[in-house]
Amino acid sequence: MNRFFKSMYMLMVYLFLYIPVIILVINSFNSSKYMTGWKGFTLDWYSKLASNTMLLDAAINSFTVAFLSASAATVLGTLTAVTLYRYSFFGKKLLYALVYVVIMSPDIVMGISLLVLFASIKIELGFWTLLVSHITFSIPFVVVTVYSRLSGFDKNVIEAAKDLGADEMRIFKSVILPMSLPAVAAGWLLSFTLSLDDVIVSFFVTGPGYEVLPLRIFSMVRLGVKPEINALCAIILLFSLVMVMTSQFLMRERK
Amino acid sequence: MRFFQTIALLLAMCMPLAASAKELYLYNWSEYMPEEVLQKFQKETGIKVIYNTYDSNEAMYAKVKLISGKGYDLIVPSTYYVSKMRKENLLSKIDKNKIPNFKNLEKSLLNKPYDPSNDYSVPYLWGSTGLSYNADKVKEKVDSWSILWKPAYKGKILLTDDVREVFQMALVQLGYSGNTIKESEIKEAYELLKKLMPAVRTFNSESPKVPYINGEVTIGMNWNGEAFLAQEEMPSMRYVYPKEGVILWMDNFAIPKNAQNINEAHTFINFVLRPEISKIISEEIGYAIPNREGKKLLDEEVRNNPTSYPSDAIVAKGEFQEDVGDAILIYEKYWEMLKTGK
Amino acid sequence: MNERSLFKTIVISIISLWFLIFVFVPNILVFAVSFLERHENNFVTFSFTLENYQRIFTSVYFTVFAESFRLAFISMLICLLVGYPFAYRLARLKGRVKHILFMLIIIPFWTSSLIRTYAIMIVLKTNGLLNKTLLATGIISEPLELLYTGTAVTIGMVYSLLPFMILPLYASIEKLDKVYIEAAGDLGANKIQTFIKVIIPLTMPGIIAGCILVFLPSFCLFYIPDLMGGAKELLIGNLIKNQFLSARDWPFGSAVSVVLSCIMAVLLLVYYKSTKLVQKSGERGGI
Repeated sequence: MNRFFKSMYMLMVYLFLYIPVIILVINSFNSSKYMTGWKGFTLDWYSKLASNTMLLDAAINSFTVAFLSASAATVLGTLTAVTLYRYSFFGKKLLYALVYVVIMSPDIVMGISLLVLFASIKIELGFWTLLVSHITFSIPFVVVTVYSRLSGFDKNVIEAAKDLGADEMRIFKSVILPMSLPAVAAGWLLSFTLSLDDVIVSFFVTGPGYEVLPLRIFSMVRLGVKPEINALCAIILLFSLVMVMTSQFLMRERK
Repeated sequence: MRFFQTIALLLAMCMPLAASAKELYLYNWSEYMPEEVLQKFQKETGIKVIYNTYDSNEAMYAKVKLISGKGYDLIVPSTYYVSKMRKENLLSKIDKNKIPNFKNLEKSLLNKPYDPSNDYSVPYLWGSTGLSYNADKVKEKVDSWSILWKPAYKGKILLTDDVREVFQMALVQLGYSGNTIKESEIKEAYELLKKLMPAVRTFNSESPKVPYINGEVTIGMNWNGEAFLAQEEMPSMRYVYPKEGVILWMDNFAIPKNAQNINEAHTFINFVLRPEISKIISEEIGYAIPNREGKKLLDEEVRNNPTSYPSDAIVAKGEFQEDVGDAILIYEKYWEMLKTGK
Repeated sequence: MNERSLFKTIVISIISLWFLIFVFVPNILVFAVSFLERHENNFVTFSFTLENYQRIFTSVYFTVFAESFRLAFISMLICLLVGYPFAYRLARLKGRVKHILFMLIIIPFWTSSLIRTYAIMIVLKTNGLLNKTLLATGIISEPLELLYTGTAVTIGMVYSLLPFMILPLYASIEKLDKVYIEAAGDLGANKIQTFIKVIIPLTMPGIIAGCILVFLPSFCLFYIPDLMGGAKELLIGNLIKNQFLSARDWPFGSAVSVVLSCIMAVLLLVYYKSTKLVQKSGERGGI
């Protein structure tokens, strides 16, 4: 009985998370333009999407930046968390403070201040500035997640490894990293999500010629968001689900 | 070493190639220029349009200002940002000799105070912010902004989420200019709006038509293009021009100061001003074109639809938004008070 | 020995350099600008003033701050209450199912947030899915006006912030050793006692991490409250954005941002100190 309630609870949370995206998928087949009610089945939005190269390009750019920035932020963030957890050094408190400053910085303040920075050192705006900014605002989310996982560990394990002659690199690779793996994965996923969703910072730091999807969607306000976006989101959703399932399947095969 | 030489050689070969391919960096709202037009343009002129987007005049202005307009060849600011950017020397002069199709434009929409001789801006699309209502629920005659203050519509009102538009609506009712910079007048408008606040169901500048179609609101402000599009799915949607005067806006082409491809920008403007291209734009986007010759090609039904094309008398009575300079701080102050209920 | 410290030195320098250039310098700029005066055409003029800070301490901005705080706090609390049992349950699962379910939490968030918010609005609107269901089942007799109310805002906020609570919680709960729970049971503690005295203190780092990742960003979030709440209230996020973009008063916007950071810093400090005290007394009680 207890088990039943626990499973029901989990199901309820998943329902809460998935009802809006299910509606989104249904609406991608709805011939009503403004999602205001069911007006009949259509595949129009998918065919319109297929010919909208600018939108597809922006989607590809978004996923590229999200993947690269999440990966880089995970590496840097994990290292930062480990550094804060293990070492004491000059400026440690400041580093702590800066981590929190990033999380609470309003997007617009971060976007404009980074743009001023890039402009004053004459860096050309574009893919690289966008990537660096996304890495920067993602790092703290990895740091906080990984740090929370580390901070309950028995430090004796590390000492033992040290006594056995392992160097710092080795300790990091074979003791700390395996211990914090779920947190590292969680950090990567959060960074990836943040990067995919960002509009305001991206607007300021990107240059002519490199555009991301959220910005394109938000800039549709003049005419209202087009139904092709529903189709695009439905495809992204399907693609993500397939990726997750295959990766799990492959992982089991290897074992 | 040889490796680097090869790379250098390759780079050297690429450079002139990249430079010779003609490009135009357009900075605009998303989907605000039909893909068909861009393709036709590239096919005919060989100039590739690289389309970048922004979501508000304010954001576009901040970015263009910070990078001194470098990297963008053509932007589409609205009236009050044309005057502001022009005054701040952010725009370069448009050479009308390179735009013979300029003559196609409607005379009554040129030489407005925000750019008296159109030296820095060429009108692209225009529209208005007026009164919208659901004819199934509102049975009386609607011709004045003051109807919003009637108790019958409490909790059923939509206002746009734009400080200038909302204040302009209140100011014209009081008989003042919507572009006033006098604090006493703005304060009076604030007092009037304060009484309206409890009746407001939502502020919306994302897509004002949706709350009307959903039935969440019955009356309020709206953009004419949104109302026009909503009529497709909601026949009871009405759009009227209030007798106090309507709020007009115009989006214009302008060339930033440090644009690289000035010739291409002129070619593009000239291309868009062709009657048949204007027609495509009007049909696809839904807003009105300021193009006299292009308008003649439109279906009679569209051309005579007062929602899209108001009469000259209404336009003459309407008011374009202008830059108010430092007075924006006064507006912003009262806007904050309005929204925090002080 | 040399090799040991080499790794440490390299790591510390890379990280410090990154934060110095991309976080410290831009924030110093913001801090500096907050003491300058607004200029109509150039954003700022280089003359020192404290006026920006004086302006913040007026009742209008107090309301803005209090409202943002309330919303962020409630969102955080609901996220924690919903997320904790969920993460706990998830962490106790095994194998492939666990990994798949873990990934399924985040996947909805890879679609456009704007479109997702529209979809939630479709559920909540007066003739929407929720009202139709409730009317059909006879729970209510009149449709509820949910959209453009505080309830709708809270639902929207919780929806978008939930993964930022669940993921850190999961990462922290996952390592919880069953031995402790069993030991507590053997010592005669009932389930509730075990939960309060053993499980909560052990998973405290995860709770703190989740709360921080939800509370801090939600403070400046404004487009979800605007869309779902009808933009009738002004939040800190709106205020800062309006100051930077429509009023073009960068010094004042910067000052608000600086004050916000300071208040948050104080809150975090108090929070840490108090949780440390709780943890210490908990440990003592445990022994």
